[in-house]
Amino acid sequence: MVSQFFQLGLLFLLPLLSGCGKGDWQLSAARKNVVMIEVTSQTWDYRLPWNPGTVSSARGAGFVIDRKRIVTNAHVVSGARNLTVQREADPRKYPARVIFVAHDCDLAMIEVEDSEFYKGTTDLQFGEIPNLESVVSVYGFPIGGDRLTVTRGVVSRIDYNSYTHSGRESHLAIQIDAPINPGNSGGPVMQDNRVVGVAFQGFRGDVAQNVGYMIPTPVIRRFLQDVEDGAYDHYVDIAIRWMPLENPAMRNYYQRPNDGLGVVITDVYSEGSSDGVLEKGDVLLAIDGYPIESDGSVRLDGQPVQLEEIVERKFAGDTVGLEVWRNQKMEKKTITLRPAEMFSMYESLYEEPPRYVLYGGLVFQPLTANLMAVMISSADLRLRQTYTLFGQDQLYRETPEPVILSSVLPDRSNVYLTGLAGQVVREINGKKIRTLADVMPALELGGERTVIRFEGDQRPAVLKKREVDQVMPRIMTLYGISQPHRTELGGRRLAKGSWNRDGVAK
Amino acid sequence: MKHFGIIFVFLAMAGLLCAEEDISRGSLVRVRASIQPYDQFRPWQKKSPFGLNGTGVVLPGGKVLATAALVANRTEVGLEKPGSAEKCAAEVVAIDYEANLALLQPVDRNFLKGFSGLALGPALRAGDKGEVWQLERNGEMLRNQAEILSTGVGRYPSDEAGFLVYGVRVSLPKRDDSYTLPLLKDGQLVGMMMGYDRDSQEGSAIPVPMIEHFLKDAADGKYEGFPVLGVSWSPLRDPNLREEVQAPKSGGFLLTRVNPRGTAGRAGLREGDVLISVDGFKLDEDGNYRDPLYGPTAVGNLIRTRPTVGSPAKFRISRGGKEMELTGTYDRRARDEVAIPTLQFDQAPKYFVVGGLVFQELTGAYLQEWGNKWSERAPQRLVEYFTFQQDKRPDPEKKVIFLSQVLPSPITLGYQQLSGLVLVKLNGKEIHDLAELAKCIDETKTGDLVFEFRDEPGKLVLRAEDLPAVSEKIGQAYGLPALRRL
Repeated sequence: MVSQFFQLGLLFLLPLLSGCGKGDWQLSAARKNVVMIEVTSQTWDYRLPWNPGTVSSARGAGFVIDRKRIVTNAHVVSGARNLTVQREADPRKYPARVIFVAHDCDLAMIEVEDSEFYKGTTDLQFGEIPNLESVVSVYGFPIGGDRLTVTRGVVSRIDYNSYTHSGRESHLAIQIDAPINPGNSGGPVMQDNRVVGVAFQGFRGDVAQNVGYMIPTPVIRRFLQDVEDGAYDHYVDIAIRWMPLENPAMRNYYQRPNDGLGVVITDVYSEGSSDGVLEKGDVLLAIDGYPIESDGSVRLDGQPVQLEEIVERKFAGDTVGLEVWRNQKMEKKTITLRPAEMFSMYESLYEEPPRYVLYGGLVFQPLTANLMAVMISSADLRLRQTYTLFGQDQLYRETPEPVILSSVLPDRSNVYLTGLAGQVVREINGKKIRTLADVMPALELGGERTVIRFEGDQRPAVLKKREVDQVMPRIMTLYGISQPHRTELGGRRLAKGSWNRDGVAK
Repeated sequence: MKHFGIIFVFLAMAGLLCAEEDISRGSLVRVRASIQPYDQFRPWQKKSPFGLNGTGVVLPGGKVLATAALVANRTEVGLEKPGSAEKCAAEVVAIDYEANLALLQPVDRNFLKGFSGLALGPALRAGDKGEVWQLERNGEMLRNQAEILSTGVGRYPSDEAGFLVYGVRVSLPKRDDSYTLPLLKDGQLVGMMMGYDRDSQEGSAIPVPMIEHFLKDAADGKYEGFPVLGVSWSPLRDPNLREEVQAPKSGGFLLTRVNPRGTAGRAGLREGDVLISVDGFKLDEDGNYRDPLYGPTAVGNLIRTRPTVGSPAKFRISRGGKEMELTGTYDRRARDEVAIPTLQFDQAPKYFVVGGLVFQELTGAYLQEWGNKWSERAPQRLVEYFTFQQDKRPDPEKKVIFLSQVLPSPITLGYQQLSGLVLVKLNGKEIHDLAELAKCIDETKTGDLVFEFRDEPGKLVLRAEDLPAVSEKIGQAYGLPALRRL
């Protein structure tokens, strides 16, 4: 207990001590430009995909930059139905709206229509990546009170880290030893009067304490540049896997001198940026002119970073020049970058409503990270493995979007089918199911019975078409379902799936 | 509720007081097993040894019946007479891990002289009363009143399909490390307890028909085991499904997968067939037959406990609406002839260390070493091969070889972090078992050894000429007693 009080005291003291000199200006700039964001959001329920979802309220932070724009985290505003912002200097709450959300890098931009709100704001400027061991200040509204709160931390690590909001992305992130708590999210991290990052996530679990993460300015600048054209595009991906080329026997096998350069490509993802250009077994020696060390790093501004960082800063349609050692010859290759749509299954979805098809109490849903999150505890091994191996085994080439019989709504017409929930659908009425879009047309096929077959050694589900037509109104009334299906994909793109089991291209 | 419990204990005590000296002294022995399982993660060594004590039943003729679980992974088994510390080593004459039964024999054939042994009694039904016998520390007998709650097909600790099992209500004080205890009725052996839950005071017992089957099989010295059908099936109650598969009006269940090597597959049964009867016993839509003694009972008992390996099998099926009869022979190839064995007690895991790369053959035992949540924690590719081997590896000769770990050495630089990788080829040649891998490597004296794996990183390379010197050093550095067990 004693030591806790002591620590609390220290936290209060620090900002006061540094209140002289430069810190003065920075704090007053923060006071003018850091905003508290109150959000009421709705989260879809993938167990009941037809429902509008649960409503919850939360608080986050943001900050005003030039052109009356407010930057915050994507996870602060995702699913927002109502948004208000408030400044220290002005107790009024102003309604705001989301202009851009980038879930893959956890950044968003919002704006307030009422220009009154911006009176007295001074537009925070962005700085560069802070040095290791330098001190930064975190501004936000963490749990415990309503006033602007400042904590300080030391830059402990600059490295790739996973961005938990998206569920699959990793980008550059900066670790600081100030804790990031709920309410800090979206707030600026400042040094020398400039924003050097956006506070966005803490460390989950009991293994580490006083660890917080911020999004560094290269990622923020990329976001701001991306939305200049009025829309946010996804990050692009080189879509290869590689292995360090450190082993002497391995280097000898690939006929590379012992110069500490180059990595071996171990997989090239079908439909990805490098598909058709790079091959398994190529030795990658340079990227955009930067030599690649045998551990996969390149020197960027004197700092070692993973070779992917070159690609990270680019946009869809940009090219990357590669030097490749193939068949004992040096070759120059150029790839055109694109997002890795085939892995979009692993991305948590926030805005778009869940898609489904209801058929006689049987609910079909595409396999998504969101569905998996609600099914994981009950998922049988085959479903789990389909999810786990989908990317690794490039299952998307055949099945861009596995369809799951996610639940069976009990009804007198389907009493024998309830045990089939959680199965991966293989075919309906003889038609192979590759995406959710295949389900409704396939249900029309065949004779008076619909036969649904699953992966593995499960029995088929057999329903009488006439009976299904009869029971649908009853089931929809009983379970409060207003529409029998929602299949529009919206703006999201899936893999093309240009391959089938016989190896014949379609 | 509590009062009942107390009364119950008193009843048990009363039972103890009227113990018949002769029967107890001549029928039970203490089984002391010293157990030391192999370490699947370090296949060249064993784990810490520990001891297990249980109760064995002396059979007429001087052999001793115990559960297989009591003596699994044993280094030594001994028998001890109740009431005295007189001991004798024992050998395991027959053991069946699926049926959870073991037959022991004292090394000194005269050790149990004077023991009359327990004869086998009749099969019991739900509601029948019996006794579970325990040995006190001083050799006195504790006779606990028991009641059969249920008879039906249930899960055995090391079996996948299920056998007949008695649900037993009995209040057992803790005496030994194991609840391997005999269940008796009228002085005859009618079951072996194999599990017990102290909270619910309910346990499970291996019923006498299983014991009979086991002893009969073991009698000729060549133990064959319980037959299996080798199918996956689904109940066939759903009228829509019945219509779709053109099932007869009533009865029968749907075969959803048939292992071509199994009893059913060899008799000509196929996926999609409706199995209507086995050996003249009609099967209902839920997979039950009507047992003369137990009433409706799961088909597993009909197929596994009743017939023996090698006896003729007769199936009546409906295929595409036509009924037909198929005949075959009961066997257990569907269980034994698999690429990845499910059970592996007592057996030393195979391994092969080359230049620091450790290769093993995939077994269920290896995966279970990952703990209760092995299917989540073990490398997912290995889980996939194991769980869906019926989908993927019908050929039992094609074992799954995988790189289990890398012992860092000068020539494994850059490979240290790799593990759980399934090996597909060596120098372009497909490899089907560990001995083949060792042979190929031994025969390559110079040049590259290119290991190709199912997953990333795809290929690893070692130089053959580096191996002799490095292998010797690795053996010394890591204290490996041997670099291979094939």
